[in-house]
Order: sequence, then structure tokens, then C-alpha cells
Amino acid sequence: MVTIEVLGTGCPKCRRTIRNVEEAVKELKIQADIRKVDDITEIMSRGVMLTPAVFIDGEEKVVGRVPCVEELKELLQG
Amino acid sequence: MTETPTCSCGADEPRRIVFPCAGQANTGQLSNIAAVRLTEEGFGSIACVALLATGAEGLVKNAKNADEVVVIDGCPAVCAKKIAEAQGIVPAQHVIVTECGIEKGPSRSYTEDDIETVVAAVWRGEGRRRSTKKREPSAGPSSGCGCGCDGPC
Repeated sequence: MVTIEVLGTGCPKCRRTIRNVEEAVKELKIQADIRKVDDITEIMSRGVMLTPAVFIDGEEKVVGRVPCVEELKELLQG
Repeated sequence: MTETPTCSCGADEPRRIVFPCAGQANTGQLSNIAAVRLTEEGFGSIACVALLATGAEGLVKNAKNADEVVVIDGCPAVCAKKIAEAQGIVPAQHVIVTECGIEKGPSRSYTEDDIETVVAAVWRGEGRRRSTKKREPSAGPSSGCGCGCDGPC
């Protein structure tokens, strides 16, 4: 199972990112643990200065922008 | 000197310009409010497709220099896309409101859910995917508006 973390404090872009992640997972029909990380201290401790950010299995994949569903699918398949 | 760490949201979003068709029917009006909403959410900047149609140099230049141009058309007449292409601008994403499951009708009204449907489709990148799908031919009263797209509005 893949772990996908979306780092963000809850603004519209962070919410869009979560929805896109959910959609990508649904379309790929994969098992995923999607976690929302909204604690600013934890976000900063990961070295993320621009949100939203997406980590897949602990690896930083996207920072500072909302990835579209197709991009997320490619990241998840890669 | 100590740097104060800051957390800004979405500062790395590509520079996008959004052209809604802003047509007179519900779907055209919806394209406009969706573009406004996308601008408010930081997706990009709404721009005037009517001005683009005049060939305004500044706007054409801005659109060509943007990271992405997004066109939102209300119906399969795709007026805004045609206007963009006539100025040599190829949209990176093209969303058609009627292909988001919203029927075109004589009313100019729309709901919050309708706005969300279109805005979410753009954030998801539906308009990128659509370009790789086979387009269904337009038919029926929901696709027409009296502006050259086959029906009454």
C-alpha cells in the first residue's frame, strides 16, 4: 500500500490537492493511505516552505502547487 | 542575518491565463464565474476573450508568454478556443462546460454546485485529458445557442 501525504494548512489549494489525490487513487484503483498533514510545525520540519506539497512513501514529489490528476497518476505509477 | 521562515501557499503555481467564453447562456455565464473563482483561488488570472478577439497586442503577448493558457467554453461551439487559436494561442487546457454534465438551457441561472463542478474540473486538469479523448459530435437543443452552434438558446 502506498502512503500519500498532502501537506497544507487547509486553504483551497490544499483541499484541491487532496481531492485530486483521491481522484487519482480512485482512477488507478490502488490501495493508498492518504494522510492530511496540516500541522505547520510538521510541515516546516519537512523543509516545506511552499504548500501544498505531496509526499509519496515519504518522498517529496510536488511542492508549492496543485498537481493535476494525470500528473499524480504518473507519479503514483512511476 | 537570520532568515524568517515563511510558509506561502501555492507560490510555485505556473503563471496561467484563463479565458472564459462568457457567452450569454447559463453555461457561458458559468464559464465566467468559474474563471473568476479560479482567479480568487490562485489558479491563474482571468482575462477577457473579447479583448483577445480584437488582437490586442499586449494581451496576445501575455498569453503567449504565460506558462499555460486555459480556455473555458460554455458549449461545443468552442468560441473562446477558436478566438485563442485565431491569435496563435494553443490552450494547454480546454474545458467545455456542457461536457462537465451541465446542460445548456435558456436560463442564465446556475448553482453553487455547478460552479464547483467546473472549477474542480479545471483544477483536476480535465481539459488536458479531454484533448486526448475522442470528441462526441454536438447535437440537440442543449448544444445550441443561436450563435452558430445548431440550435435555439
